[in-house]
Amino acid sequence: MKSRISAGRAILALFVEFIFLFSIACSSGNIANNPTMGGTRQVNDDLGRPVTVPARVTRAVSLAPSITESIFAIGGGDRLVGVTTYCNFPAEARTIAKVGDTLNPNLETIISLKPEVVFVSTASQIESFTNALTANGAAVYVLNPESFEGVTRDLRQLGELFGTTDRAEKLVADLQRRALYVSQVVGGRPVVPVFVQFSKEPLFTIGRQSFLNEVLKTAGTVSVTGDVESAFPKLSKETAATLAPEAIILSQSDDNREPNDAFKDSPAVKYGHVYSVNADILSRPGPRLVDAMELIAQKVHK
Amino acid sequence: MMAITLVIAASLGAERLPLFDLSEQQRSIFYDIRLPRILLGACVGASLAVAGAGLQALLRNPLAEPYLLGVSNGAALGTMLAFVAFQDSEAARPVLAFAGAGIASFAVYRIAKSGAGMNVERLVLAGIIVTTFLSSVIVMLTTLLDAVKLRSFTFWLLGDLSQATRNGVYLSGIAALIGTLVLTSQARALNLMMVGERDAFDFGVEVGRVRMLVFGSTCLVVGAAVAASGSVGYVGLIVPHLIRLSIGSDNRLVVPFSAVAGAIFVVFADTVARTAIAPRELPVGAITALVGAPLFIFLLRRGS
Repeated sequence: MKSRISAGRAILALFVEFIFLFSIACSSGNIANNPTMGGTRQVNDDLGRPVTVPARVTRAVSLAPSITESIFAIGGGDRLVGVTTYCNFPAEARTIAKVGDTLNPNLETIISLKPEVVFVSTASQIESFTNALTANGAAVYVLNPESFEGVTRDLRQLGELFGTTDRAEKLVADLQRRALYVSQVVGGRPVVPVFVQFSKEPLFTIGRQSFLNEVLKTAGTVSVTGDVESAFPKLSKETAATLAPEAIILSQSDDNREPNDAFKDSPAVKYGHVYSVNADILSRPGPRLVDAMELIAQKVHK
Repeated sequence: MMAITLVIAASLGAERLPLFDLSEQQRSIFYDIRLPRILLGACVGASLAVAGAGLQALLRNPLAEPYLLGVSNGAALGTMLAFVAFQDSEAARPVLAFAGAGIASFAVYRIAKSGAGMNVERLVLAGIIVTTFLSSVIVMLTTLLDAVKLRSFTFWLLGDLSQATRNGVYLSGIAALIGTLVLTSQARALNLMMVGERDAFDFGVEVGRVRMLVFGSTCLVVGAAVAASGSVGYVGLIVPHLIRLSIGSDNRLVVPFSAVAGAIFVVFADTVARTAIAPRELPVGAITALVGAPLFIFLLRRGS
């Protein structure tokens, strides 16, 4: 009986707290729509959500390394006031205040940095505290590119938001030129079946939903696990042993220095066609995707 | 039944293999990948089941299990340290897992031991304290891992037999064998202790020695199992229960039968893990828990 009463109280307390937080959220939401200087405008982010942003972003937080790289690339890096602990590129990103990592950002730290916009990738769980950020005057903007085209679209969009459209256009044109060059160079050559290994044990690779499939295609290669469901599957070693890739691409890390034993009879291992590629370049859908295209093409089609 | 399970498990996999005339690649798949994994599953299942049977008899508590008493989490933390600090050493994992299991059990034992003797409630409580403490250390360490490592580690934490190697099979096979033999040799003493430790003492059972032997062999088998496959849950809990329900509670039978039944259970569960969404894989611990939890509820209801 006693425990029932206390459970009831706890629920009541939670309810009161919820109402309280809700009212805060509602009241400060209006403030966000009436900034003290400059105008605001409404734009749609990658999820199609309408987001109210300042006419020109002056304080931003990035919650993904790929977003940090993109913002620096379009010339908005000096307006980044907070990034994640994994944001290590370009070098200047390391000196910016850290707000935790993509999965566990620190809400208090973010709010204390007074950003106008917080950029998130959908990989993060930020949705749950979007309300709290909005209540503190920070718009939450989702950038979730799933292809090279998506990356270029987002770079242009960031250029608009940061008021650096010229630089963003130049960057996009440059990236497209480089990607086109790669595909032209490898164009006449036979397509090489490759296996991308992210972790040796347990064996993780890329599947159908990975943005790397397109990168591999541009580089004149094709993923041998392109028909496996999900973006980042754990693959059966039995299946791995039947794939016979002609090249293996290792995402560089200290526990992924060599191919899994399941590939011991594959042409890739027999002829030594095993290449390491910087893990950050392989895992971040940002401007360095083109670096990945160039690196893979160079290594596989040398 | 064991033989049937092994044959079924061996004939199923992500890749279809013919019964005869295997190509070189198919032989490699069978002998280097599938068979070691099945055998490791059997060793891990036997290890966890006898550990559960031994602890339940020793503590006269049907809920006693390597997990509840912190032994598994100790082993998991040890393996995790090996994972982070000694990446290249194959030996580091089992050694640190055993050390972790030993330190955790010792801590539980010391917390539980109060003045005159040790009562069972206190021991279980101590187990829960140590388990939750170790869990939080593990969670804290996982936040330091990068995304890919976190994913590998989470998979391993949920129980994963895909990393089976011949050496791993030998190691956990030897551990499972020693554990089963030691626990079976103590079964008569455990039978007497189940009646009451004082009565057992009157019958000439060296209670302290039995306790050390049971704890020691539990640490050995759990350390080896966790190092090889992560945390495969529910095996130590439900397998001895099922055995006691079907053949009674004579530990001389419960321990060896648990070993066999545990092996069958995990091999079966891993066959599902390997094939259900092939060519992708599920963690075997998810399957044992998925089957184990409802089964345990069923047993509880039937028991009462």
